[in-house]
Amino acid sequence: MAEILKNKQLQIIVMALSFLFVFLPYFLNVPQLNTASTKLVTICSIVTAFTVALAVIAQFRRGMNIINRRSRGWYFKAYMLVTLVLMLGFSLMGRDSGPYQWVMFAVVNPLSSVNYGILAFYMASTAARAFRARNTKALMLLVSGFIVLMYQAPLTGAYFTGFEPISIYLGSTFSMAAGRMFLISVTVGAIVFGVRVILGKEPSVLGISKEEK
Amino acid sequence: MAALVYYYIKTKKVVHIRRVPGLDAIEEAVGRSAEMGKPVICSFGIGGFTYWTLAGLAILSHVAHLTAKTGSRLIVPTGGGDQALIVRPVAEEIVKTAYTMEGVEDQYTPDDLPFYSGQQYAYIGGYVGVMQRVRPGSVIMTGSHASEAMNIAETSNTVGAITITSGSYISNVAALACASDYILIGEEAPAAGAYLSDDPAQRASIRVQDLFKWLAIAVMILGLAARSLGNDLMLRLLAT
Repeated sequence: MAEILKNKQLQIIVMALSFLFVFLPYFLNVPQLNTASTKLVTICSIVTAFTVALAVIAQFRRGMNIINRRSRGWYFKAYMLVTLVLMLGFSLMGRDSGPYQWVMFAVVNPLSSVNYGILAFYMASTAARAFRARNTKALMLLVSGFIVLMYQAPLTGAYFTGFEPISIYLGSTFSMAAGRMFLISVTVGAIVFGVRVILGKEPSVLGISKEEK
Repeated sequence: MAALVYYYIKTKKVVHIRRVPGLDAIEEAVGRSAEMGKPVICSFGIGGFTYWTLAGLAILSHVAHLTAKTGSRLIVPTGGGDQALIVRPVAEEIVKTAYTMEGVEDQYTPDDLPFYSGQQYAYIGGYVGVMQRVRPGSVIMTGSHASEAMNIAETSNTVGAITITSGSYISNVAALACASDYILIGEEAPAAGAYLSDDPAQRASIRVQDLFKWLAIAVMILGLAARSLGNDLMLRLLAT
């Protein structure tokens, strides 16, 4: 049985059929097909839930290896595993109130916000490196960036109103045109990529090597 | 479009496709890491099975083959979102298969595909942490990354790694273009699997993307001209 399930051709066929089951109900109103499609999506959701367990097991395995070897920073791993078990326990006591919710609101969310806030410094350091007028294109980028920044910043935006029309013009013409071209190219690329996957020409995304196929 | 892709794949026409510097640089980046004796970090994003993730997995497969050949250590940070959990076992299988196919199965270490967290910023804490500790020679960040992409790209730059990224939405692309050494824009990431393949049939399918991009440009110019002349036919055609 395991050998049959590992058959690479079979995996590609299952993938192609799954695609058809989900794709066709958008165009054909066949009740049986709709039911099959809904069931398939539900099965996928259940399988996804099981992968959480796999990820936690992997986390434990790696953590225990580091602790057993007493590798550098092993105590952080020990702390992480203890908190993981604690959170698992807390979640069993209820997720809408109690210690689980406290940890989420008082620890996880503030730490996430800090991480998000740090992004501003990353952006500043990137800008400092990239916004240098080395050539004409870089000069145009620098000037556009300066104008948009001046308009977006509260103080300069309020006092130097001349930046507003230029900034809005840059956003509604060049920026929007580039954004739409990006969307078009991504959509075209996604469709072509999808066809290759369905035809089994991209076996690597299933973990199958071309030689193996 | 699907029929045209099928036609190109079947005819296996050898077509000229433009070079994509970001994809060409992958080999150079892995080679540089091997020479320096430093690991390679490659991630496939924090999303579920979207085309961005699938494109990221295709690139991961290529990178895994290269690291297996060169003997470099490959680290694949995983997690970042609930949807990413289902992609993790597939990524494990991809890396394992690559090492097996290259005949170095013993070099495959499951611990080098660490799961950091289902939370986006906890994941990025682990990702940035591993970059600071192992000082990789190259960081290849593909798939669907959100705001955390900048943390990765900028830290990668700080530790002196070659940074190859792909942005999955326009504002991310703008920021990543400044932060990375090479960036895959638009359809370049989904085309990676075919581009990096030696199979002429797959490479031929990329031509369809270029054809349709030219078609889109032609439609835009036509629409612009028609609208300027007071005709809204193109607008009504595209609105339906």
